[in-house]
Amino acid sequence: MSDQAPTDAKPRRRFTLTVEWVLVGILILVGAVMAQLSPEFLTLSNLLDMTRFIVEIGLLALPMTLIIITKGIDLSVGSNIALSAIIFGFAWHAGVPLVLAAVIGIATGTLAGLVNGWTVAYLGVPPLVTTLATFGAFRGIALGLSGGRGVSGFPDWFYVLGQGDIGPVPVQLLVFIVAAIAFGVLLHVLGYGKRVYAIGLNERAAKFSGVRVRSLLLRLYALSGFMAGLAAIIYVSRVGTAKGNAATGYELEAITAVVLGGTSIAGGVGTITGTILGLAIIISLRFGMILGGVSANVRSLVLGLALIVAVLAYGLLTRKRT
Amino acid sequence: MIRRLFRTSGRELVLLAILVVAVVYLGLTTNFLFYTARDGTLAFNARTIQSLLANSAVIAIAAVGMVMVIVAAQIDISVGSILAIAVFAAGYLDHLGVPPLLIIPLTILAGAALGAFNGFLVAFARIPSIIVTLATMTVFRSALLAVLPREYLGNFSKGFRALGLTTFLGLQLPVWVMFAVVAAGAYFIANTRWGRTLYAVGSNEEAAALAGIRVRRVQFMVMMVSGAFVGLAASFHAPRFAQINANEGLGFEFVVITAVVLGGINIFGGSGTVLGAFIGVLLLGLTKTSLIFLHLSADWEKFFQGMFILVAVSIDVLRTRNPLARTRQRLARAAAQPEPTAAGQEPS
Amino acid sequence: MSRLELRDIHKHFGGVRALKGVSFEVHGGEVHALVGENGAGKSTLIKVLAGVHMPDRGAVVMDGETLHLHHPSDATSRGIAVIYQELVQYPDLSVLENLFVHAQDVRGPFGLIDWAKLRRRGREVFQRMELDIDLDTPVGQLSTAQGQLIEIARALTRDARFVIMDEPTASLTEQDTEILHRIVRRLRDDGVGIIYISHRLEEIFEVADRVTVLRDGSSVGSERVENVDPGRLIAMMVGREMNNLFPELPAVTGDTVLEVRNLTRYGVLDDVSLHVRAGEIVGLAGLVGAGRSELARCVFGIDPIDRGEVLIDGRPVPRTPWGAMDAGVAYVSEDRKLDGLVLPMSIRDNMALPSLTRLERRGVYDVPAASKLATRFFELLQVRAPGVDTRVEDLSGGNQQKISLGRWLAREPRLLILDEPTRGIDVGAKSEIHRLMTELCGQGLAIVMISSELPEVLGMSHRIVVMRGGRVRGELARDDATQEAVMALAATDEPIQGGAAA
Repeated sequence: MSDQAPTDAKPRRRFTLTVEWVLVGILILVGAVMAQLSPEFLTLSNLLDMTRFIVEIGLLALPMTLIIITKGIDLSVGSNIALSAIIFGFAWHAGVPLVLAAVIGIATGTLAGLVNGWTVAYLGVPPLVTTLATFGAFRGIALGLSGGRGVSGFPDWFYVLGQGDIGPVPVQLLVFIVAAIAFGVLLHVLGYGKRVYAIGLNERAAKFSGVRVRSLLLRLYALSGFMAGLAAIIYVSRVGTAKGNAATGYELEAITAVVLGGTSIAGGVGTITGTILGLAIIISLRFGMILGGVSANVRSLVLGLALIVAVLAYGLLTRKRT
Repeated sequence: MIRRLFRTSGRELVLLAILVVAVVYLGLTTNFLFYTARDGTLAFNARTIQSLLANSAVIAIAAVGMVMVIVAAQIDISVGSILAIAVFAAGYLDHLGVPPLLIIPLTILAGAALGAFNGFLVAFARIPSIIVTLATMTVFRSALLAVLPREYLGNFSKGFRALGLTTFLGLQLPVWVMFAVVAAGAYFIANTRWGRTLYAVGSNEEAAALAGIRVRRVQFMVMMVSGAFVGLAASFHAPRFAQINANEGLGFEFVVITAVVLGGINIFGGSGTVLGAFIGVLLLGLTKTSLIFLHLSADWEKFFQGMFILVAVSIDVLRTRNPLARTRQRLARAAAQPEPTAAGQEPS
Repeated sequence: MSRLELRDIHKHFGGVRALKGVSFEVHGGEVHALVGENGAGKSTLIKVLAGVHMPDRGAVVMDGETLHLHHPSDATSRGIAVIYQELVQYPDLSVLENLFVHAQDVRGPFGLIDWAKLRRRGREVFQRMELDIDLDTPVGQLSTAQGQLIEIARALTRDARFVIMDEPTASLTEQDTEILHRIVRRLRDDGVGIIYISHRLEEIFEVADRVTVLRDGSSVGSERVENVDPGRLIAMMVGREMNNLFPELPAVTGDTVLEVRNLTRYGVLDDVSLHVRAGEIVGLAGLVGAGRSELARCVFGIDPIDRGEVLIDGRPVPRTPWGAMDAGVAYVSEDRKLDGLVLPMSIRDNMALPSLTRLERRGVYDVPAASKLATRFFELLQVRAPGVDTRVEDLSGGNQQKISLGRWLAREPRLLILDEPTRGIDVGAKSEIHRLMTELCGQGLAIVMISSELPEVLGMSHRIVVMRGGRVRGELARDDATQEAVMALAATDEPIQGGAAA
């Protein structure tokens, strides 16, 4: 009929590329500026070493990307790290072999994620409210059980996970790379990813098209819990102590990385590549500024402003499209 | 009457009942309300109630602003950082010799300015408020820390401290301010055109815009007003302490949002009341106090607060998920029972 | 007599010229119908009158004075009220608050709202409309029809002199439509000028005094309704003559595919039994709330059932959507934008979504296979779009409906449930969908068609099952079915006459 809006051949694909190229551009810019500030910035050992401190955030950001694409959010992941770390530490302290204790810790994280998932998917409580509640509850259990005491004194070989290297590469970076590839495949290659996007764009339509929405969401939040459990083990290995106030504020850092990476909080838009680039920008900004002697407060200030500018830029990109 | 005046829903009454039951239970089983004095008589334990209310004041005042924000389908997670800046603003104004009564409006202004910054980004740059305030939470606090010469401030004037410590009818001034703000806020949001506009924008933004409501202006205003309420809270919060600290308000956003959610607000906007949020604040405060009186570790506070929300919201969801559900259950029960047989008839 | 006039209105968005010279006028005390296919420019025109869009050229003139409508509130203050198809309502606010939430003059002393005064004004308006709705009910609990009436009431509380109604009956039943028409006539007799936009031509002859046809963004003519007939209107709308409205249906020969036995869902459906044979179209008629869509949802496994069975080819259908899909059920739901299509996704992904499990190889989404499948139905259904990568939200309503049909045909179902298959789409696309339905049933597909449009039910069904209050009220063979017979079953509790068997 008469009312066909003119369309580009591949509008969506062109758009996603744009956001990611913007990120690559920012990353190069940041790298160049940082290299100016401090000549050591661009040395390989430096670049690799600075990743050590963001792997835990990164492990949270991967499932967070999928969750935000489904229009959800998981505020409980930081608290979940504390909970899993405490259970892990206690299990080991009680005489459980370390590897088994780690499995128990990760299982705890997964179980906590299942609680979120069940509440969101089957009880129908909004994700923001559910995970705001478990944000408090998980942290509360961690603090209550530990009573302010931490567990430390793990065997030396355990610290390899968080402090050791294989060649020039930090061990936990390898863990992250494997996880990132797995999530990339999950979101962009498997049919699962199509379902995740469909839920974020129109949950009812997904349901009416035969997508098992509830079961998918349950598993997704459980996966987020699993990753928090994994991050907890790495956290304890890196820091050396399992304590109740571990990983405070990590949920917000993970969300920042995801949003910086171009994932829309309104759901349906986002990529794993974007999240990885978001993490890379955060880490290079932070460590470049450390090397350049910029104070911690100014560093946070710059990161906060970077988030605003990035989201502003994405807004302009999307608006131009319509 | 109250119901009409403040346009409450049923939720507040349920919460109020829980609050009363909790207080009575604590009063009967612990020395929360009464303790045995040295002469053997029962004496009223006024201190607990006083400190419970005084500690709730800053949260409750900020919660009034948060209710408006969430009803308008926005969120403000920068309130903790705004509080920190406003507290220091008040402190430095006192050091400059500004009279206490002038410090109050100036601190409100400071909060409003920060809120306006959020509001501008939300309403005119069209960035979702959760992202804006996630960023400004960091930006505000790190800016404060960057400019502060020291991370603490003390040596306040007597006049300034009086704002926080003056008692009237046994309650401190911040508590009276809290009562006034909550009552005014509840009445305002229910009975003014601007107040009702918040509900319209929050429940259907597109529709409101088509109907001629200036949605962006409302969104800008509500973020600014939230900042102003935090400023007001700060101007009575800072004088309560001999020394204020730059980590003031860390985690404050979660406490305020938790209280408001507990008070029955719809996180997606369009419904919720100030009165509910206020009771939510008191319930949260009571959780902490009762742990002490029940001889439990205060470390469990967050756990109980989290569970509180989960239970409250779950009940809400189950109650309202399907209006037909209850009728259907009733019919199902009726159908499950054998048909009643009329007298004289043989059941086949 | 007041008079609202549009003179040669032009409006473009980017490269698209939405309006290319629209002129017509409406007087107070007149119902002026506006018709045209989707994309003819009706929505843009409404938004110009509402003050949402400023015209590039041309003028809106009221009583000889040119209006400058920069903002919706400008239109409101000049007495122009728009009632959009998507209702402007706040489900959590009460009826009373919904009536006055946009009003400017609600302040009593101290700038506070004078609830008592508003309540009086609300009652007055309701009396004028002869409405009986409790002012304190949250609007979210009202029916669509009641919501529609609340919108009109809101316009009246603002003393609107011109009311523009966009497809007010699109989601109403015949009965509710009657009530609405009565109120429209009453407003007209009160001297209100009404612009009435509708796809349903029958109602234009029922309610309008004059009619203007829009085509491709221009007005092609205004006539008094006495001087035109439906055929002539359609010709004006599409620019050609359309004579045969419904295609011939092939005879039914197949075995029973769907059998619903004593299906009960407490409070919704009561002891519903139904069967559909291969190659048969069964029309489900009834008022809104009669339980037709609810029945479809139960068959599709979205809603649980309390008693009874649903069988496909004699085998019970699992109680989940995916289970029902595997058993051969396809459900093209009523609201394609809400629960049918994922609008921002490409045609390919939308086509693939119901068949996703078949397009996965060890979990990997097989994009070439999905493209092949999408292209096949894209061509079969003659979707007008550049290609399968086009996003569905960029398509017209008719083409969207073809996609939502095609994605289910891709699963090669045994039973196709069509819920309001032609609602809100233009005349051309409508007849294409009807032709397609005929072809499908010729190939042995069993079809259940839910429709609130009586001519469609009569023209496109082998058999008509009428529901009322969650029960099957009666069944009519194609040859016995008349509008009167269907309505008698759907809208009254009178004993069933001969010719209809329960």
